Amino acid sequence: MLHPFAPREMPFGRPVARPGLGRIPVTVVTGFLGAGKTTLIRELIKTPEAANSALIVNEFGEIGIDDALLRTCTENTVLLGNGCVCCAASTDLHRTLRQLFADRERGRVPDFERVIIETSGLSDPTPILQLLATDRALGTRFALDGLVTVVDAVHALSNSDLPEWRKQVALADRIVLSKADVASADVVAAVERILDRLAPQAQRVVAVSGRADPSFILAAGRDLVCPEVVRRHIQEHDHHHTDGYVTFSIRREKPIHWPVMQQSLDVLSALCGAELLRLKGLVNVRGRPGPVVVHRVQHIAHAPEELTAWPDGVAETRLVIIGRALDELRVKALLEAVWAFDD
Amino acid sequence: MDVGARGQAMRGDAMAWNFKLLAQHELNGFGGMGEGMAIQIARDGRRILWLAHESAPKNFTAVDVSDPRAPKVVCQTELPQPYMRSNSLELTGDVMAVAYQTQKPGQSPCGFELFDISEPENPRSIAYVDASGPWSRGVHQLWFCDGEYVHMAAGAPDFQPRNQLDDQCYRIFDVRNPTKPVEVGRWWLPGTREGDTEPPPKRHPEGSDFGFRAHNTNVYPQRPDRCYLGYLDAGMIILDISDKANPKMVSRWDNSPPYVGFTHTVLPLFDRGLLVVSDESVVDDAADWPKLLWILDGREETNPVPIATCPPPPIDAFKGRGGRFGAHNIHENVPSPNAWFSDQVIVGTFFNAGLRAYDISNPYQPVEIGYFVPPAPPLSPTGSIQLNDVFIDERGIVYTVDRHVGGLYILEMEF
Repeated sequence: MLHPFAPREMPFGRPVARPGLGRIPVTVVTGFLGAGKTTLIRELIKTPEAANSALIVNEFGEIGIDDALLRTCTENTVLLGNGCVCCAASTDLHRTLRQLFADRERGRVPDFERVIIETSGLSDPTPILQLLATDRALGTRFALDGLVTVVDAVHALSNSDLPEWRKQVALADRIVLSKADVASADVVAAVERILDRLAPQAQRVVAVSGRADPSFILAAGRDLVCPEVVRRHIQEHDHHHTDGYVTFSIRREKPIHWPVMQQSLDVLSALCGAELLRLKGLVNVRGRPGPVVVHRVQHIAHAPEELTAWPDGVAETRLVIIGRALDELRVKALLEAVWAFDD
Repeated sequence: MDVGARGQAMRGDAMAWNFKLLAQHELNGFGGMGEGMAIQIARDGRRILWLAHESAPKNFTAVDVSDPRAPKVVCQTELPQPYMRSNSLELTGDVMAVAYQTQKPGQSPCGFELFDISEPENPRSIAYVDASGPWSRGVHQLWFCDGEYVHMAAGAPDFQPRNQLDDQCYRIFDVRNPTKPVEVGRWWLPGTREGDTEPPPKRHPEGSDFGFRAHNTNVYPQRPDRCYLGYLDAGMIILDISDKANPKMVSRWDNSPPYVGFTHTVLPLFDRGLLVVSDESVVDDAADWPKLLWILDGREETNPVPIATCPPPPIDAFKGRGGRFGAHNIHENVPSPNAWFSDQVIVGTFFNAGLRAYDISNPYQPVEIGYFVPPAPPLSPTGSIQLNDVFIDERGIVYTVDRHVGGLYILEMEF
């Protein structure tokens, strides 16, 4: 129910030029044990593009944690010489982020411009992706910039049978392939094929000596603005390798009334919630000049955010859906059945 | 680790979120600025920012802000008396109105002056209206946006308040002939003038009795028959000025007590049926906390209803920094082609808590979306920044000024 002051022309609040504008971007870096997350971050925060980053390390005991650059000190933030803030969010990421902003607005820590969260090697990133949607106060300060998964080319083939590894890859917005320079070309090609199948929507880059292009890692909402066209649909016989993970895209030119779109996504969550891992993209809402960004992680929906204009000038609904044991045809039929009420 | 000792403000760095500093100008060492800010596009295309000083010796300063990263002072004028202050100015086209107030009642000159500013380097006086009198301190604030009328908070030679603190009423001058301004209307809170039949208003408690007098007198083209009046200890007032000779009160909303008065600005957001009301903090060290920005449901103008306040800056971080802490001026959507307009974002100054921006797209839940707190300027008498006023031009460039020494800060919004 809209409040009495919601202008008909602004049902989603104040439109912004790009997703997350005005909020502090949060980049989540995940990857299996030993994949090279710490090395990647250590190199990243040396670059001007990543200056003034706050770093949250989500685990003790992993390699590099005792490094001079990625020091931890239990619950307190620590200022480092390069202007980074480093802390260990071993217990409560919510509380850590809230405290970080409270310290920032009181001048207790430098004006960090982004947050980088390094997850533990075995963690499921889903709760972190849901974090900013479930905490309203945090959602006004921070915006998810994306999930970057580091994949170790040397060990990917042996790790790819592990469910934790597969989920980290399947959910990724972006993938950094590490240690490709020390793996054989055949192995790298085999890993690339797995990634093609498991995460066809994720943009990829190869790290060289642990370094990757900072603008690739810190995307500032790029993934949501221009979701990649799924490069390859999963074939039936691939399910052995993907453990049932599927990724597909849905497009629709015709604009749609927002309540109908919202209803269709709610129905999808209700009927396929367990299998629906992520849904993200842009919606061409009837009567709106720009797109509305949608992002759901399982049954949790981030607040829709309206953009002032279509980033590529093409007004077209485009959704990317990542699921597990999710029937693409059934999902499309279900969505289109609800959308039919609008047609 | 002692986090306070390493705090940014202690180190002299700015604190900023979603505001980017483009330039600061100390205005030739006279950086104590009042609450008059207006943009003129000069005939040669230059963008000139006119600024009123908070106190003598300077009257007003003009700054070329065509390149907001390289502001240049093009004009700075003097006041004739050390006990005068200009404090407020507004302009329409090439005509600028400047307020003059004195420190004590009975001093002169005070009133307002009109200038031809077609040559920004050489402002030329067109008219001066004297408002001095035994009980008058002259004009504190004025509003001049239509080229026809100047609305102001002013004393008058013949205005004898029952209580000296109530010396400035609402006055309207017709300046359609700018060489001969003529007073066409006046209003004061009934009971405050000697001779009124109404009883005097109940004074606020000692220590917070600041006066029942006018402050901001905003009139917009959407409702030229309304004046949105901040009336200090009387709260906010909407006046019907369809007959300027006989203004009539439509409604009044007052938060004090239990709050401590000094209602400063009333900003109507016509398309949304909202009113934004600002308090002014006037006591150092947060002694009058909380001073707030209030959001009112103004759909029924006879019954404004408060529905929210903007989340104030954290008092624990600012109360000990020196000087005033709390709300003051807001960007008022001045009806000028050279001013930014928004009914979704409110930007205001909070003295030592700097500049603050709020998203009020949901007016029940205003959300802070940016702040800018510069370090204490050198030689600041309070030991802190005291951001006093803000104006945003149609390009979205933000100008804000320090009350004592810091001068002008020019910013970009990043939200």
